[in-house]
Amino acid sequence: MTDLAVSLSGVGKKYPFFTLDNIHLQVPQGQIMGLIGPNGAGKSTTIRILMGLVHQDHGEVRVLGHRMPAEQVAAKWNIGFASEDMRLYESKTLEWHMNFIRSIYPQWDVTYAQRLLKRFGLKAEQKIKGLSHGQRVKATLLLVLARRPRLLVLDEPTTGLDPVARREILRELTDVMTDEGRSVLFSSHNTQDVEQISDQITFIDRGRIIDSMDKEVYLDRWRRLRLEAPSGIEVPALPGIIDVQQDGRLAVATANAFAPDLANAYEGTGVRVQCIETMTLEEIFVANVEHSREGVGA
Amino acid sequence: MNRSVVQALILKDWRLQRLLVMLSLAAGGIALAVLQVRCEMAFFLGSTWFFVSMIVLGCMLPIANVINERKKQNLAFLMSLPVSVLQYAMAKMVSTIGMFLVSWAAFVVAGATFILSRPDIPNGIIPVMLILAALTLIGFCVVAGAALVSESEGCSIAATIVCNSLYGVASYFIIFNPAIHGDLKSPVPVWSPIVLTILAWEIAAIALILGITFYLQSRKRDFI
Repeated sequence: MTDLAVSLSGVGKKYPFFTLDNIHLQVPQGQIMGLIGPNGAGKSTTIRILMGLVHQDHGEVRVLGHRMPAEQVAAKWNIGFASEDMRLYESKTLEWHMNFIRSIYPQWDVTYAQRLLKRFGLKAEQKIKGLSHGQRVKATLLLVLARRPRLLVLDEPTTGLDPVARREILRELTDVMTDEGRSVLFSSHNTQDVEQISDQITFIDRGRIIDSMDKEVYLDRWRRLRLEAPSGIEVPALPGIIDVQQDGRLAVATANAFAPDLANAYEGTGVRVQCIETMTLEEIFVANVEHSREGVGA
Repeated sequence: MNRSVVQALILKDWRLQRLLVMLSLAAGGIALAVLQVRCEMAFFLGSTWFFVSMIVLGCMLPIANVINERKKQNLAFLMSLPVSVLQYAMAKMVSTIGMFLVSWAAFVVAGATFILSRPDIPNGIIPVMLILAALTLIGFCVVAGAALVSESEGCSIAATIVCNSLYGVASYFIIFNPAIHGDLKSPVPVWSPIVLTILAWEIAAIALILGITFYLQSRKRDFI
């Protein structure tokens, strides 16, 4: 037995115009991991590899203790997977789909499915083609959740949803996590969604993982310092500072390893610290991506 | 345990495509009804319609059952289920060929019964009818295999065009083969060595096409 729900190590996949490079990613059991990246960053490819739908060129993938893609059948009994580009059969009703999934999964929870129907405001007898985008996403999620998977893998589940539908889905995901044995990996380019429900966060950009850690640690370590330097003095990038933008005497420094003594260190160089601001996950994400791209470009 | 998932996938395909199969059977039934009218024109129309019904089903079924699943983005939904790529391919081939075989067998039996029931039509036609029907089965396997492996509507249509073009040529060479043609007017079916050899080759061709399909499918590294 392993205490990791998902483990990717040294995983790579090369396409003519895109390379997923040396991916290391671990999702502990009972955790929600948010995978954040811009469009085309490699989120879907990473998820497809861990689902066994795309074979990696190199590296090892284990999901719920099973090697992927070789043991994907055994692993998928306990994985609920939904992706933004996944479609149900338009000519069939939601009930038809529920019966189909129920015929496959012995653990299908009829009571929970009925509860989800009510909570999501769905009608089982309605054909899929008559559902709105938000209702289709909810229907897919119902089919995934009612089979009671140990691991939920969701690729951009909230893309294109209105705020109400998004909130309903995020609330359901949070409820799912009351069962501590359950894990979730979900990708999004919407940092608000990820910030709302994730325990762990991984940033991915241009096929590389640029950072991965506990959400609270992220929010603690990243700060924006507003600085005022004496005239003619260039504000230095002290250890822990990844970016300094200076305009005349005023500067903004972004710290990715903030510690309280950083402010003292600046004061020691003659630079006055006007204020220290916390950063939102979106600001952290953007700063992280820009820093990573500068590093690659340098 | 996983046999149940493959079975569920096959059943699902039957439920989704049964209307198409029933429509083709109905078309075959109408063709048989036309054949009951005793005139040359009706015989020509009915027998053409009879084969066309089979060929049309052979073209439409792979598109409806295989290609549309990718085109309409149902594949990710299915592949999220506990099946491997090969198990999915097996379920797909079994359901697609199975559905075609039901109609095909019904057409062949109905066709043979019709010939046997009509004293004015020589029963010697039956072996040739079986050879031509088996050709449509080969063509169907080619189109279904192309659809599954290529996942492309264009490739499937190209395979359909090639197969349909070859039916005419193959039919000509079979019907006008001197070793076969002489037996066409026989009052009883003649299962000559050449007829049996052609049927054996046809069965071997079907096995080969299915083998190649599964081999190519097993080599795929990216499924979605």
